[in-house]
Amino acid sequence: MKGSTVNLDLRSVSVDTETEVILKDISFKFEPGKIYVLIGRTTSGKTSLMRTIAGLIEPTDGEIHLGEERLDEVPIWDRGIAMVYQQFINYPHRTVLNNVEFPLLRAGVSKADAKAQALAMLEKVGLSEFKDRKPSQLSGGQQQRVAIARALVRNTRVILLDEPLMNLDYKLREQLREEFRTLFKGTADSVTIYATTEPSEALFLGDELLVMHEGRVIQHGKPDFVFENPSSIDVAQIVNDPPMTILDAEIKDGKVNIGNLITFPTPAHLKSEKDGKYKIGTRASEVILGGSESNSEEGTVSLSEVSGSETLLYVKLNVGEVVLQLEGIHDYQIGQAVTISLAPNRIFLFNMDGTLCAAPGN
Amino acid sequence: MTSKFYKRLFLLPGLLLLIAIIIFPLLFTIRVSMANWNVSHSGLDWAGGANWARMFHDVNFWSSLFRLFYFSFITTTLQYILGFTAAMYAWKGFASRRFFRVLWLVPLMTTPSVMAIVWRSIFREDIGAANGLLSKIGIDPIAWSTQIFPATVTITIAEVWQWTPFMFLILLAGLLSLPKEQFLSAEIDGATPWRTFWSITFPLMAPISIGAIIIRLIEASKIFDSIFNLTSAGPGNSTETPAYYLYTRGLREFQISYGATMGLMYLILAILTLTILGQIFARVSKPRGI
Repeated sequence: MKGSTVNLDLRSVSVDTETEVILKDISFKFEPGKIYVLIGRTTSGKTSLMRTIAGLIEPTDGEIHLGEERLDEVPIWDRGIAMVYQQFINYPHRTVLNNVEFPLLRAGVSKADAKAQALAMLEKVGLSEFKDRKPSQLSGGQQQRVAIARALVRNTRVILLDEPLMNLDYKLREQLREEFRTLFKGTADSVTIYATTEPSEALFLGDELLVMHEGRVIQHGKPDFVFENPSSIDVAQIVNDPPMTILDAEIKDGKVNIGNLITFPTPAHLKSEKDGKYKIGTRASEVILGGSESNSEEGTVSLSEVSGSETLLYVKLNVGEVVLQLEGIHDYQIGQAVTISLAPNRIFLFNMDGTLCAAPGN
Repeated sequence: MTSKFYKRLFLLPGLLLLIAIIIFPLLFTIRVSMANWNVSHSGLDWAGGANWARMFHDVNFWSSLFRLFYFSFITTTLQYILGFTAAMYAWKGFASRRFFRVLWLVPLMTTPSVMAIVWRSIFREDIGAANGLLSKIGIDPIAWSTQIFPATVTITIAEVWQWTPFMFLILLAGLLSLPKEQFLSAEIDGATPWRTFWSITFPLMAPISIGAIIIRLIEASKIFDSIFNLTSAGPGNSTETPAYYLYTRGLREFQISYGATMGLMYLILAILTLTILGQIFARVSKPRGI
């Protein structure tokens, strides 16, 4: 397989049970050497899509091709796929070394070679000194590293990572995310698919972003492009954390009116839009606290939470709730009055049906 | 009245019960084993180690012990293999799981001695169903109860039939309690179902297996009702186990002292064997980290 380009090709793959549709008509060509990030909310079908590729779920419709091979007709154990799960899944009765050797031995690698390769892989993920321990004697981050070593060691054509950092604490998450970039660099022959709910991970790791929503891929493209040009409100909500604030608005006579209180002249990027009713979106980090001009409104704090080194403020306005992200840690009381204004040149404009009308650009 | 007093007071009923049902009988049995209590002579006179000496020379006792080893080993092994296979089938949902579970429990719900009588009629040489079936496929009738090997087979079949469901139940409960993820990830790692069984399922099931096997070994060492009803230890004494031999000597011939001696010896050997087995099992499963 080395050197050749073996694409993973999904052709209108659907999965449905009697009661619900899990995946709906997904067609996509994955190329080796790239990291594809699946982003979506918890029930959007990311895991189902991975399990379908791995063979744990049988597609009700469609075909999966890996190069010349019809993958969905191959038994799971012959597919040559590696998968890392959200939970730290290792073989509890085997040592760390035996865990990493396991897939190699199953692939028919000789015992001596398997040991050598497993040791090299453990070195790479920084677990050499723990090779004789049982997974249960390791910390969460180390356990997940074992699982990752097990997935990478066999050099499979497809590597699936299903929210591998989900169950780790914040610090470890950032550290492992950093390591992932170097780890996956060495897998030029593999298609790497990485599922996450975190936009920051997607932007950091992804060569290509697939936004999933209700079992479909609703947008794909370069992560920063998708981030700057979300094709719909759904995408905008998914690729922004905290989710984008969406408010009803009206463009009329060269002005943007939001709930009659916030009004500002139509900014440059919206100049060509027709008068009418729209929905506008604004990122939490681009909402401005304060402002005395006509584009501000006073509201009350309904929730204030500190997340890392930032403070999230949920402010109730007449037009709806606005999420506001502030640098640093601030103390706000629930019910406290604050004034909010929007940055006109950072406004996303959506049609009433939710599709993107205009984005502010970079 | 300190709290210590109350603690002891409340422990007393349990302690008395323990003394009444375990400690006193045990000490009394030891004393009886050193007396000459039999059908013509009752009471606790002093016979020293006479009964013990007699036992060490009693070929019947020792051969019954070896027979017991054979029976426990064979029946437990068969029960384990069959029970595990059935549990795997039920677990994988190949057969309608609920239906099978109920069906497999039928033997457990029957009375062993009643079943032994049913088995006896099945294995009757003249009108039994077993020989009837064999004759249909052209095999000569087998003398189930008058030949040593067929008699052994009869008891083995009855025991396996009766107790395999117990293994099935415990092992199925064990399988259902295992986390599923390892199995999925083993498959993805390239393990065939056969490989997955030997590398993942079997080692993960070791603690439960050991528990089930030890419980069955203890139960199997008490084997009595099926022998009593099926072969009456015959032909000759070729299917006689210690429990049966003790019953014959101690209760039927009323050699109370001698029965007590053998009972104690049996107790010592059972404790030793099970301890050693427990140690071996623990050592076998430990390197695998269970």
